[in-house]
Order: sequence, then structure tokens, then C-alpha cells
Amino acid sequence: MAKILRINMNDLSYKWEEVPSKWETLAGRAFTSTIVSEEVDPKCHPLREKNKIVISPGLLAGTKAPSSGRLSVGAKSPLTEGIKEANAGGLTATKLGRLGIRGIVIEGMPKGNDWYSIIISKDKCEIKVTNEYAGLGLYDLTTKIWKDYPNKPGIIGCGIAGQRLSKAAGVFGNNIENTDPGRYAGRGGLGAVFGSKRIVTIITDDSEGKAPEPKDSDKFTESITKLREALRAHPVTGKLKDDKGKPFGGLANYGTNILQNIINEAGGLPTRGFKSGRFEGAAKISGEAVHEIVDKTREKFGDSAEGRYGHACHPACVMRCSNVVPYEDTGKHHVGPLEYETAWALGTNLGIDKLQDVAELNRLCNDLGLDTIETGNTIAMFMEAGVIDFGDGQAAIELLKKAYDEKSIEGRLVCSGTKSAGEALGVTRIPVVKGQALPAYDPRPIRGIGVTYATSTMGADHTSGYTIAAEILGVKGKVTDPRALDKAELSRAFQSTTAYIDSSGYCLFIAFCILDNDDGFAGMKGSVDAFLGKDIDVTEYGLAVLKKEREFNAKAGFTNADDRLPEFFYTEPLPPHNVTFDVTDEELDMVYKDL
Amino acid sequence: MKIRVKLYATLRAHAPKNTDIGEEFIIDVDDNSISGVLKNLGIEEELAKIVMVNGTRVVNYGASLEENDLVVVFPPVGGG
Repeated sequence: MAKILRINMNDLSYKWEEVPSKWETLAGRAFTSTIVSEEVDPKCHPLREKNKIVISPGLLAGTKAPSSGRLSVGAKSPLTEGIKEANAGGLTATKLGRLGIRGIVIEGMPKGNDWYSIIISKDKCEIKVTNEYAGLGLYDLTTKIWKDYPNKPGIIGCGIAGQRLSKAAGVFGNNIENTDPGRYAGRGGLGAVFGSKRIVTIITDDSEGKAPEPKDSDKFTESITKLREALRAHPVTGKLKDDKGKPFGGLANYGTNILQNIINEAGGLPTRGFKSGRFEGAAKISGEAVHEIVDKTREKFGDSAEGRYGHACHPACVMRCSNVVPYEDTGKHHVGPLEYETAWALGTNLGIDKLQDVAELNRLCNDLGLDTIETGNTIAMFMEAGVIDFGDGQAAIELLKKAYDEKSIEGRLVCSGTKSAGEALGVTRIPVVKGQALPAYDPRPIRGIGVTYATSTMGADHTSGYTIAAEILGVKGKVTDPRALDKAELSRAFQSTTAYIDSSGYCLFIAFCILDNDDGFAGMKGSVDAFLGKDIDVTEYGLAVLKKEREFNAKAGFTNADDRLPEFFYTEPLPPHNVTFDVTDEELDMVYKDL
Repeated sequence: MKIRVKLYATLRAHAPKNTDIGEEFIIDVDDNSISGVLKNLGIEEELAKIVMVNGTRVVNYGASLEENDLVVVFPPVGGG
């Protein structure tokens, strides 16, 4: 029977609760958003006592379902002041699933200046003072923890940025090998909520755990087999090489950063602070470039080379879109993974085309505990304001390094989020919605994603309704020609399906396969149904999650007027297509009209 | 007819050796449809999921090209 672990940081106590029957089908995002909406005061200060952190492994985490080990972290966001769910791979979801823990709810905040860690194992929880874990870079911290806890635990928590309550702070997670803290539930400043509760890490040891049991094991096995086969056979999600030994799976070979070139060619790649849709240096920092440097360093350094593609972000992953970028001169691990969003935020958007500079900026973010998308956009504000120049990688690295110095105002500002920094620096082109910075697709030529940015409950967030799949990549799902389709309808369809997938534990990227493959879709739905012993309607389940999130945001004070893009997207045409964002307010309001 | 071409991801194997990532090359075709270009390059149509002509996606592979058009071809890709 799955349990809830409820931790009270006011008096440093905890208790185990049964999952109430009304929450029986909830996990992942559905679980975190339900608890936040039912238990957190929408008007509360997100970095004080009344906020709660809710952590939940997706429903199927810890089972053998392919690519099902995703983790949701929820709270009221200090960045958006609305509800937030951030999602990541890593080890912790799988381990929590194997311990039979549906969710962790962390309430209150302690008195005094101590820093704590929460240590979880089979039926056990310890809230421990770990002042020696605070103030460390996260590469050192994760290495130290695996020495202190030899059972190779999952680790999540906050770094220096979160400990200082900076709004660009993400929740880090260790990778499978513990060589990088780069598995981030990055968005919305949730690292700062950890910091506000004076929690540095949550350490999960599943050595006495076991895979959770589905209600209908035969149907479950049949469904996950169907899904696994569909994923493996698909050219996006499939295996590294085909039967003839040629590169096959796009994600396995080139990672998410396979998108750098296609979005660039489509003219929708935001360049130098959203001033152009094409970046002349895109190819140099693309997924293809990472593939090449990995191959090159492997050839040169042999077995000691640490660069990787086709790397799994969590134990059950079959798509393996993660990677490790090596140092070119030694072949050793520089940073992993370098994702599309990060290569864009810390590269393209800053006009930086040197892969090693982008990798270094990514490593610094991982070490400091920062969301790369928010931080890249924040550095762009410094460039927009003329403090440093677009394209100057070394200046960007020096600026970000100031964040290690707690007395440095520039260091604090570079961790404070795009909106805060942009306003402090006198910038008027600040690319945020509900306080959260835009990701790697310009909403002017790619308008469906603009509708998602504007209307998402999460602030500007591509993953919450990834219309790019239909608009650019030709993955249609049930929609017909996406260019003819109503953008609001498209965005809503993607937003609701996403909320379901974010709750199942499956990685969102299975969508590239299942939306075009009936067997894959049946495998996904069948496995969730067999696990719960219920027939769950995908769209209804997703819409119910969105409804709770919208209600929370409404009570927090959000109205339709917050579902808009910043003014410059409506007034400044973006080259090369020279278009503005022309979706009307009425169309935007259609997305949630009857919800 | 001369057509400019860029190939990405798994399709780069069909470009001339030593072509850089994102570098265009020129082919000479008799059949000036997109299908003709793909055939010339040895790319199966089902793997040419996204074809852009001068920056705009084209779904009709029977469409005719003009001299010096830029054809960019991607296999099925996804990410984010």
C-alpha cells in the first residue's frame, strides 16, 4: 500500500499517512498540484512558513515500465507566485516508488540557523542537522554524500542559490552514476523553497525496497511490452543504432539538442535576447556537435574518455536522450546533460557559439543550483543592458562565478531571475510570462507555443503544452494539419495530455512516439489502467489537474490579463520571417474558457 | 538544375564526406521535384520527415523547385 510521508519542519517531526481513497489515482504532477491546491494558502508568501513542498514520483516509477522514472516537485512558486510543478529524471523517483512512497509533503520552517537533510529508507525517516552540506558546490556535495551513504542513494535538494532564497534556484538531482548534479526539476525557483525550509538535501536509499505491484500484472506486462516495442522502433525515441549499425534514434544519438538546428532552420530560434529567429552559430553548439566531440574524444582517449550520448537519465529509460559533454583537451566529464533548452539559454540566446563556454556555464549552473533557462535569460538582461556584450562567453562565465561570493550584488542579481534582474537593470524587453522566463522557441513564428506560454498555469513553459511537436516536428496526435488548427485548441489538447503524462511517471518524450502510434498509445494508457485497476480517461484526468492549478492561481490573484505575452512580442517583428505574435486576447482566453 | 542542400542528424550520412554540420552543398538534378532531390541524395521519403524550402516547410514532395533553392531535410526529430 502506497504511503505519504508528512514532515513538519516547525518541530522536526514526521508521520506516515495512508493515501486517502480520493487521492488513490493521483501521482506525480496530479498529486503535487492537488495537495498544493488543497493545502497551501494561495496568498501566502512562497518563502515563508505557510508554503509546502510536495514531492511525488510518477505513478509507475520503480516499475519496469519503459522511461517511467520521472519525479514531480510542487509548491507555490517564488518566481511566478502561482502553482508550480517541476519535473525531472534522476534516481529519486525510482527509489521512492520502490519504497512505496506516493509523496512527501514538507510543511513549516525551523527556527535557528541550522541546515537539515532528510534521510529516507524502507519505513524509516530521519531529519538530521547537516550544516556541513550547506554552502558547498553541488559536484562536491553529491560526491561527499555517496561517501557518507554507501548504498548509492538518490539525492535531491538545493544548492547555494536556493540556500540564499534566489528565485532562479532549481531543485537539483544526482544522475545515475552520481557524476553530475544535473538532473534538475529546474523551473519556478523551487530550490529557494527548499532553502526557505532550511533543507539542503533529501537522500533516498531503496536498498530494502521492491518494485510496486500493479493491480493487473498480466495486462501491465503486456502493455509495457507494447510501449517499449513502439518506442524502440520509432526513429525519434528508438535505439542508438539500427540493425545495420547506422545511427537510428534521434534522441539517443543527438539528445534533445537535436532541435537546435531544426528550430534555427525554421527561423524560430530566439537569438541574442529574442532579436532574431536565426543564429549563425547554432550548428556549433547543436546535438550533432556534441555527438562529434564525444566520438572525437573517444577516438583520442579510448577507455578513459568520459563523453557520452545515448545516456539514460533514470534507471528505466529506453530513449536515453541524456549525454555527457567532455572537455575537448582531456576527454573527461565536463557537464551532463547539455540539453537543448540549456544550449539555447546559455548559448544562442547570449550569442555564444563556443561549445566549451556553453558547457562551462551549464556546469556552473549545476554547481550553484540554478535553473539554466532562467539563468540564461537573466544573463541576457545583463547583455541587453550593456553590462557585458552579447557573444562574450568569458564575460558571462566571470559574471556567473560572482554568484559564489555571497557579498557580491552582481552575484545575487544573476541568480534573482530574469524579471528582477531586467527591471533592476532598466531593460524593457523582458521575456517572461507570470514572472517566468521564456524557453527556446520564439512565439512569433511558432504561435501555438506562444499560446502555451501565455496561458500555462506554470508561467512561460514549453513542456506544459508542447505544440512544437505538431507545429514544427510533424507529430500530430489526433490533430489534423496543425497549421490550419485553432492555436487555442492545439495548446489545450497538448496541455491536458501533458498533465496526464506528467502524472504517470512516463517521460513526456514518449509523446513523440505514442501520438503517432496507436499501439504505443494503448501501451501507455493500458499500463496506467492495469497499475491502478481502473479505466482512466487521458484527457479528463489531465483537465482535472489543470482545473485545480487554474483555481489555485485564480485564488492567488491571477486573471486573464496575466495570460499574455510581453508587449514587445506584439510590436517587434522577428527576422527572418518578420512576424509578430498575432493571436488575439479572445483566442488566448478560449484555452480555459469553460474550465 | 542546381539545388542547394543541407542535411542534419542521421541524414548527414547522405552528404558529401567532410561536410560540416549545417554546411550547404550543391547537387545537380534532372527531376526538380522534392522527391527527385531526395532520390538523388539516396534518402527514403519516409525518413525525410521535415523538408524546408527556403525556410518554409513543404509537405507536398511533388512540388517543383527553382534553380538555387535551398532544401533542408530532417529525419523525424523530437526533443525539448
